Amino acid sequence: MKKVLTLVLMLVVAASTVLAACGSDNKGNNGNATNQPGNTDAPATTAPTAEPEKVEPFSVSLRHIQIGESTKFRKAILDDVVKKTEDEIPGLTFELDGLEDQVNRFTKLPAEMAAGRPPIVFDLFGGAGDALKYAAAGRLLDLTPILEELGLSDRFLNLGQFTLDGKVYGLPIGGNTEGFYYNEVLFEKYGLKEPTTWEELELAAETLKSNGITPFAMGSKGAWVPLMLVNTLIGRYAGPEAIDGFPAGTQAWNAPEVVNALTKYEEWIKKGYFTKGELGYEYADMLNDFVSGKAGMMFDGSWRSSVFKDQEQAGELTGKVGFFAMPAVPGGKGDQTFVNGNYSNGYGFSAKANENELKAIKAFIKNLYNDEMQLRGLLEDGVLPSIKLSDEAIAKVDDRISTKVMNILGASGGAFSHYDSTVPSEVYSESESQIHKLIAGKATSQEVADALQKVQETANSRPAE
Amino acid sequence: MKQTLRNPAVYALFIIPTLALYCLFFIYPMITSSYYAFTDWNGLDNYKFIGLKNFADVFSDPDFRSAIVNNIIFILFAVFVQVPLIIIMAILIGSVKRLQGFYKTTVFIPSILSTAVIGILWGFIYHPEIGPLNTFLRLFGIENIYWLADEKWAMPAVLFVNAWQWMGFYIVIVLASILALPKELNEAAAIDGATGFQRAIYITVPLIKPIISVIMMLSIAGAMRVVDIVLVMTKGGPVGATEVMASYLVKEAMGVNPNYGLGTAISLIIFAFALILTALYQMSFGRSEKGDVS
Repeated sequence: MKKVLTLVLMLVVAASTVLAACGSDNKGNNGNATNQPGNTDAPATTAPTAEPEKVEPFSVSLRHIQIGESTKFRKAILDDVVKKTEDEIPGLTFELDGLEDQVNRFTKLPAEMAAGRPPIVFDLFGGAGDALKYAAAGRLLDLTPILEELGLSDRFLNLGQFTLDGKVYGLPIGGNTEGFYYNEVLFEKYGLKEPTTWEELELAAETLKSNGITPFAMGSKGAWVPLMLVNTLIGRYAGPEAIDGFPAGTQAWNAPEVVNALTKYEEWIKKGYFTKGELGYEYADMLNDFVSGKAGMMFDGSWRSSVFKDQEQAGELTGKVGFFAMPAVPGGKGDQTFVNGNYSNGYGFSAKANENELKAIKAFIKNLYNDEMQLRGLLEDGVLPSIKLSDEAIAKVDDRISTKVMNILGASGGAFSHYDSTVPSEVYSESESQIHKLIAGKATSQEVADALQKVQETANSRPAE
Repeated sequence: MKQTLRNPAVYALFIIPTLALYCLFFIYPMITSSYYAFTDWNGLDNYKFIGLKNFADVFSDPDFRSAIVNNIIFILFAVFVQVPLIIIMAILIGSVKRLQGFYKTTVFIPSILSTAVIGILWGFIYHPEIGPLNTFLRLFGIENIYWLADEKWAMPAVLFVNAWQWMGFYIVIVLASILALPKELNEAAAIDGATGFQRAIYITVPLIKPIISVIMMLSIAGAMRVVDIVLVMTKGGPVGATEVMASYLVKEAMGVNPNYGLGTAISLIIFAFALILTALYQMSFGRSEKGDVS
């Protein structure tokens, strides 16, 4: 009997301890919620609207990728936009969160999207693997009404990579094309001129190689860097339509014309045209290789052009760098005057933004996407505007590379995008591991093409959700 | 009271709160997340049950199979290179008379550095053009070695740094147990004419066997889940040469094409491997060594 009594007593003590812990928890909740017990979310959303007159300080998270020396011009523009927006909206503070591009795009943002808690404003890429995927999952704010209100609806040159079912979910900060930068000093030294044909390009590469200069700087630790060149080679050999043809099923990766592009890349690898040990080098190392004169050419985006007018970054090469688009390839399919062109990197906004945050977003868009800032981006940073600028504004451009880039785009028959914005993520992911295999000599161009086609077919056969 | 403590129910009562917390924060999340291993959840879209497809996919991927091989290399390196070196170093440091504290601190320093720091530090040392290692080798006319970019060299380079990072930690543990041994044994052997080497082999090592068994097991478990050093140094590259199971998991679950379902499946596989290996070790070597001592 005594035993049972003790047991019961102990149970009571134990139970009361546990319950007491729960009890104090409830008390805490009730304290917060005051008149609405059990619903802690409600007060948080109703409180700000209850007293709109009083200025409540609030902060808005802003994720950007302008870190490091080579993006300092772009960062300065962002800082000014942030400051202006903060001045306009009472109580607003932006919390800037700078992150490396690849980490943001492929690690942090996807995880935040999965958890449903992205920052309010964030750097976003367009296309099937990024903006469109998040938009379909309801994570991105529909910007169509805001654009209408600000009178920006028709001003963007290309919103294709951010548009889903007629609604706009992101805004590109600018446009770019990818092409060859070349070291004019080295070219002059070896009697080379700016290549306008394929033969001249390969002759330049061969001449540099035979003089102990790496023809093309390359840092392929991040697979997207070599894939830029691969993408443009595909656009040349298989035609501009190929890029959209992969996901549509009208273009096979292992068709001869795509294999030709990969084979050309493989040939250049075998000839030692790229930086030795490239698999261990980052994107930033590629620039160092080029600026230090170890390499004579570099295939990169027009966004890098501002580096070459900045003495601090380009050193002796300041103003001595030229830019040209990939020449027509012999036997290439389709229009060879097309260039690679993307309006893919910009800003997206969280669908969960509350009223205050929406105000901030609207002001941010107004201050960033206007003639003044777009022209500044073009003049200071060499980034092509994403909204139409007047001719007189364009005429202010005096940077050689920017002018050249605009001439190239003006003379082109059209633009094809990068396949990373058209194909599903798993195909792009496969292409990243395959290009590394190609570079390391562990796969031939045909094997790479077959592997990609296999993944593409699986993706294409999947029913649309 | 004595009566009460004999009742098993009382013991149950004492452990139930702990068990409940353990279940709430460990077992429950593990079981619920395990469910995702059987789905195609990508973090965004609706997911569906796909049975064992994730597991089949993973094992049919040659990249994952080579990651398993790399994990095994890590384990073998830990057991056959690291552990003997740890014991030798600990015995050497244990037998020095002066500046012992200095040596102890020196070998311990790498393990208090963050892995990110180590990655950058050794990334510089291994740099093909300007790194001190190649600069030194050039003195002997050796051509630039692309330590982290060459498939041949990347794995040894990472193994070395991993060992460099963790050996000090284990050395200090072994050293503590060596210093705790009764001095009389070694002195008696010395009087009998045993050399330093003989004393180390026949007296010190047998006496510290239990601790060796523990560091052996920790090394195996550590090698199974190694990932941070790989990510900061090579990201599994070049071309998967240093890819281990956990870095493969990071790439698949949180890479360009996030697939949390597949990621969960891989983490279950790693868990199973680690469990089996440590159990095997415990049942074979771990047990016999404990038996020796008792």
